[in-house]
Amino acid sequence: MGTEYPNRPTFPSRPAATPFGVPQSTTPFQSSHPVVGSDASAFRPAPPTSSPAMSSSGPMVGPGISTFRPMPPGMPNDAGRPPPTATPPYGPTVSVPFPRFPSPQFPSTAQVPPPRTSMPGQPVVAAPVRPVSGPFSTPPGAHYPQIQPPTVPMGSPPQGANTMQPSPHVHQGPIQSQFSAARATTQPSSPLAGSAYPAARPGFQSGFPGYISQQPSGFAQAPPRQSVPFPSQPGGYVPPVPAASSPYLSQQGGFAPPPPLTSQRPGSMPPMSAIQGLVEDFSSFSIGSVPGSFDSGLDSKVLPRPIDVDLERNVLSEMYPMNCSSRFLRLTTSGIPNSQSLASRWHLSLGAVVCPLAEAPDGEEVPVVNFAPTGIIRCRRCRTYVNPYVTFTDSGRKWRCNICALLNEVPGEYFAHLDASGRRVDLDQRPELTKGSVEFIAPAEYMVRPPMPPLYFFLIDVSLTAVRSGMLEVLAQTIKNSLDSLPGFPRTQIGFITYDSTSSLTQPQMMVMSDLEDVFVPLPDDLLVNLSESRTVVDAFLDSLPSMFQDNVNVESAFGPALKTAFMVMNQLGGKLLIFQSSLPSLGVGRLKLRGDDLRVYGTDKEHTLRVPEDPFYKQMAADFTKYQIAVNVYAFSDKYTDIATIGTLAKYTGGQVYYYASFQASIHKDRLRHELTRDLTREIAWESVMRIRCGKGVRFTTYHGNFMLRSTDLIALPAVDCDKAYAMQLSLEETLLTSQTVFFQIALLYTSSSGERRIRVHTAAAPVVSDLGEMYRLSDTGAIISLFTRLAIEKTLTSKLEEARNSIQLRIVKALREYRNLYAVQHRVAGRMIYPESLKYLPLYGLALCKTTALRGGYADAQLDERCAAGYTMMALPVKRLLKLLYPKLIRIDEYLLKKPSSPEESKDILKGVPLTSESLDPQGLYLYDDGFRFVIWFGRMLSPNMIQSLLGENVAADFSKVSLQELDNEMSRELMGLLKRQRENDRSYYQLCHLVRQGEQPREGFFFLANLIEDPVGGSMGYQDWILQVHRQVQQNA
Amino acid sequence: MGDLLSWLFSFFLLVAVLGTILYQLMCLADLEYDYVNPYDSASRINRVVMPEFALQGALCFLHLVTGHWLMFLICLPYLYYNIKVYTDRCHLVDVTEIFNQLPWDKRVRLYKLGYLVILLAFSIFWMVWSIVDE
Repeated sequence: MGTEYPNRPTFPSRPAATPFGVPQSTTPFQSSHPVVGSDASAFRPAPPTSSPAMSSSGPMVGPGISTFRPMPPGMPNDAGRPPPTATPPYGPTVSVPFPRFPSPQFPSTAQVPPPRTSMPGQPVVAAPVRPVSGPFSTPPGAHYPQIQPPTVPMGSPPQGANTMQPSPHVHQGPIQSQFSAARATTQPSSPLAGSAYPAARPGFQSGFPGYISQQPSGFAQAPPRQSVPFPSQPGGYVPPVPAASSPYLSQQGGFAPPPPLTSQRPGSMPPMSAIQGLVEDFSSFSIGSVPGSFDSGLDSKVLPRPIDVDLERNVLSEMYPMNCSSRFLRLTTSGIPNSQSLASRWHLSLGAVVCPLAEAPDGEEVPVVNFAPTGIIRCRRCRTYVNPYVTFTDSGRKWRCNICALLNEVPGEYFAHLDASGRRVDLDQRPELTKGSVEFIAPAEYMVRPPMPPLYFFLIDVSLTAVRSGMLEVLAQTIKNSLDSLPGFPRTQIGFITYDSTSSLTQPQMMVMSDLEDVFVPLPDDLLVNLSESRTVVDAFLDSLPSMFQDNVNVESAFGPALKTAFMVMNQLGGKLLIFQSSLPSLGVGRLKLRGDDLRVYGTDKEHTLRVPEDPFYKQMAADFTKYQIAVNVYAFSDKYTDIATIGTLAKYTGGQVYYYASFQASIHKDRLRHELTRDLTREIAWESVMRIRCGKGVRFTTYHGNFMLRSTDLIALPAVDCDKAYAMQLSLEETLLTSQTVFFQIALLYTSSSGERRIRVHTAAAPVVSDLGEMYRLSDTGAIISLFTRLAIEKTLTSKLEEARNSIQLRIVKALREYRNLYAVQHRVAGRMIYPESLKYLPLYGLALCKTTALRGGYADAQLDERCAAGYTMMALPVKRLLKLLYPKLIRIDEYLLKKPSSPEESKDILKGVPLTSESLDPQGLYLYDDGFRFVIWFGRMLSPNMIQSLLGENVAADFSKVSLQELDNEMSRELMGLLKRQRENDRSYYQLCHLVRQGEQPREGFFFLANLIEDPVGGSMGYQDWILQVHRQVQQNA
Repeated sequence: MGDLLSWLFSFFLLVAVLGTILYQLMCLADLEYDYVNPYDSASRINRVVMPEFALQGALCFLHLVTGHWLMFLICLPYLYYNIKVYTDRCHLVDVTEIFNQLPWDKRVRLYKLGYLVILLAFSIFWMVWSIVDE
C-alpha cells in the first residue's frame, strides 16, 4: 500500500482534468446512445447492490475504451465501484457503460457545475467493472482477440465510431492488471463501496474533494490487488507480474501523469481532449517506475507477441472496397504523407510489397477480361489500365484517368450510358470496373514474338558427391513423376545436360563435350524436345540416369561451361533452367576458389566481400539469362563450401530462387527435395513477364528490392514468376506538397501463361493522402514494413558488416518510435513508459527476430556462410506472410492434443495454442512443435511420459535422434501426430517442412535446431526480447 | 617551343579524357530516360572506361616527364582514384545493378567532369602563358 500511495496523488488531479470536457466528442456519444441519460440515473442507485453483480457480470464488458478513460477516476473510487452493478447485463452492457461514461464526464467537465449525471459517470463505474471481470473471465477474449495485455491504453477515443473499437483493446491490458486485483477486493469491499459512494459523488462535483474520501477505500483494496494472482490469465495476458507494486505504480503513473492537476487529466486520456485532431490510439507498457531501474520494471510477459494473430491489415479495404486484396499489394503505411517534410519524419520507409500472383483462396480468383474487339482500354498519356477508380463523364463518352487526370475518349464498342448517379449501366458486367484485380487477355501488340511454350531445362551435376548422396536418384524419380503435371501440355519442352568434368548433352541423343574452353552446340534445336512427342525417350533417360553415373568417381565440376551450353540451347525460347549443383565449380570458365569462411575477416571492412559474388562471370551470365527470358532456380546440395553467394546470383537476377540442402542425404532429405522440386515444376508459372507499378502524380517508386533485374528505371524483368515470389519497393515524393486527396497505385504484370496466352494482370489500389503523422502510424502495416526492412538489411550485408545491417534496423525502429513518442509525450507525460502505435506493436519484436535470422545473425560462428547466403536469397523473395512466420515461428505444445484427440477443428485449435518463443514456456513434461514454415522441430521434454515417446517413435526410442525420422506407426497417437504435421504442411505448401527431432538437453543438437531459434531468449551473445525492448526504449528516450 | 608543344599535347589528351567522360554521362542519361536498355548502355560505358583510365594515366605521365610539377600534382588524386577502383575491380559498370548504382555513377562522373574542366582551364592558362613567354 505504502508504495502505491505516493502515486495516488496523481489521481485526484486527473478527475479534475477538465480537459475532458471535450464537448465535441461528448455529443456524438450521447447522441448515439440516447440511453445514456437513463442509464446514468440507474446507475447511481445501483451502487450498493453492485458488488455482487460486479464480479459475475463484470466480464468483459469490454467497453474497453470507455473504461479506459474513466479508469483514472475509477481507480480512486474503488468504492465507487458500486456502479458496476449497472453492468450486470453481459453483452449489451458492454456498450452501455461506454456511452454512459463519456457522456457524464463530458458534460461535467464542459459545464462547470457538473450535472448530477456526471457524478455517477465519474465514479467511473464502468472502468472498474470491466477490469474486474476481464482478467478472470476469459470470455472477454472475444472482444480482444489479440492479446495485448501489456499495452496500457492511453486510449484515445478515436474520432470515428469505429476507432473506438480498437482503443478498447489497447486499454484492456492495463486495466485488467489494475483491476483484476481490485475485483477480488470488490466483493469484500462492496459494503464499503456503498458507503463510499455517496461520499464520492459530492466530491466529484466539487472537484476533488471526493478524491480523498475515495482514496481510503481504494487503499483498503489495494493490497488485495497486488496479491491477486494473475495465474488464470493466458500467458500473453498476464499483466505485469513482477514486483506487484512497482508495475502497478508505474502504470498509474502512466495514466495519471505527474502533478499538475489540470495537465494530468489530459495525460491520462490524452487524445480525447487535447489532441482531438491527432486522435490516435496508442499503446504502451511501463518500463520501471523509475527511469534508472529498468530491469526490475519490465515484465517479459506483458510484451506484445504475435501469437495466433493474423497480421493481415485490411484498413484500406474498408475505406476503398474496390482495392485489390492485401495479398497482392501491401503498403508500409496506407496513409501517404502529403508533404516531403512529413515524409521525412516517417522513418519506416515509404514503400510497398507486391506479390503479383499470390494464390487466391477458392472463390476469389482474379476474373479474366477479354477486350478483343476494342483493344485494352488505357489512358493515352500515362498508359494506366482502366480500373474501378476511373470516372466516366460526358454521358459516358469520356473517361478520366484516375492517375494522371487526363480525359480519354471511350471507344465506341466500350460505350455505355450513365445512369442518374453517373454510374455506367453495364457496371455489373464489367469486372474491370468493379474489382481491384483483373486479368486482361492481351492482343498481338503486347507480344514481341509468339508466346513461348513452357520450357524446363535441367542442368545436373553428376559428380561423385551427387551420386553418393543419392541426390541423382531422387531427382530422376521426382522429375519423372512430375512429367505428367508439368504445365502447358502439349507444348512443353524439356531438355537435360549433365556435367562433371565434361558436359554431356543428353536427349534425344547424348553428346559428350570435352572441350571446356570453347563449347559449341552442334544442334541446339535437337537438344530440346517436346515432352508429349518424346515422352518415351525422356522416361527412358530418367530411368537410366542414376545407373548411368553410378560408378562415376569424377569429383570435378565444369559448371561454367555447362551453364554456357545451357544458355546456347535455351536462348531461342527462354524458359526455366533448374540447376542441381553439388560441388564447387572447379573447371573451365566460372571456376570458383575455395574462398572459405574466414574467421579473421569478420568484423573487418572486408567482411562483406564473402557475401558478394566473386566472379563477374556469373553476374554477366545472369544478365544474359534475363535478357533471353531464362529463369534460373538453383538447388545446392553440397556438404562443403559451394559459394552460394556467387552461384545464387544466377537466381537473384533472373527472378528465380535458391534451394539449399546442406549436406544432402537422400535418406533424410528425400521428401523435402521431392516436394519442393515437384512444387517448382508443377506450380503455375507466368513466363517471359515484365512488371511495372504506376502511381499517381507526385509520388514515384525509386528503388526496387527482390530477385529480379530492372530493365529500365521502373520496369522489372521477370523471366518467370510464380505465386511464391514477392517484390518490395520504396516510394518517394516528387513534389513538396501533394494536392490530391488520394494516391492510386497500379501494378501491371504482362506475362505469357503456360497455356500460351499473353495476359496482363492488373491490380489497382487507392490510398488516402494524410497530413498528420499520427494518421500515418495508425495506417501502418508491420508486415510490409518488416518485409521491406528485411530486403534492405540483406542488401546492406552485401556492402557492409552484418553488425551494421542489424544496427540499421534497430536505428530505424528507434527513430520511428522516438518520432511517435514526440508526438504524444508532451501531452501525456509518459516518462518511463514505452509507447508505440497499436499498429506497430509487434515491430520491435520482428526487428529483433530479423536480427536473429540466419541471414543476419551473429558472426562467423553463428551460421555457415553458405547457409547465410542461401537464407538471404530466400528471404529476398518471400511474401509477407511467410516471412513473418519465418521471423516469429509458431511454437505449440502438442502432447495434450495427442492425448485428447479432439474431434472438432475448433477444439483442436483451442488446444494447439501458440506459446511465446522462449525457453521459459517449455515444460519438461511436454512435447512441442516448432514450425517456421521451412522446417519442423519436435522437442521432447526430459520428463515426457515414456509411453508417449514409445508410441511415437516405436523401437527408435533410445536411438540417436539425428538418424531417426518420424514415421507413422500403428497406433492412434502416432497417426494423430502425422495427421497434425500433414495439416500444418498443407497450410504452407511452398516449402516442405522437414521434421527434426530434438531431445531436451541433447547438445549440441538442441542448441542448433531449437534453442538458437527461440528468439526471445538471449542466445550466444545476442539480446533477449526483454533486453532488446529496454535498449530500444533507452535509445528512444535519448534526445527525445 | 618544346614547352608549348608539350602543353599542346597535354591539352589534347585532356580533351580526350573529357570526351570519354562526357560520353559515359550521355549513356547514363540515355539509360535514365529509357532511350537505351541497360545491356547496351553498360557495354558502351564499359568500352570506354579503360581508354579513359589509360589516357588519364598518360596525361599524368606527360606532366611528370615534362616537369610540370604543379599540373602533375593536381592530376594525382584523379589517378589515385582510378587505380583504386581498378584494383577493387569495380571500375566497370555492373549491368545487373546499373539502375541502383545509377545515381552514384552519375555523380562520380560529374565530379570527374568538373575536375577536368578545372584542369582544362589551368592547362589553357599555362599554354597561353608559354606562348606569351616566348
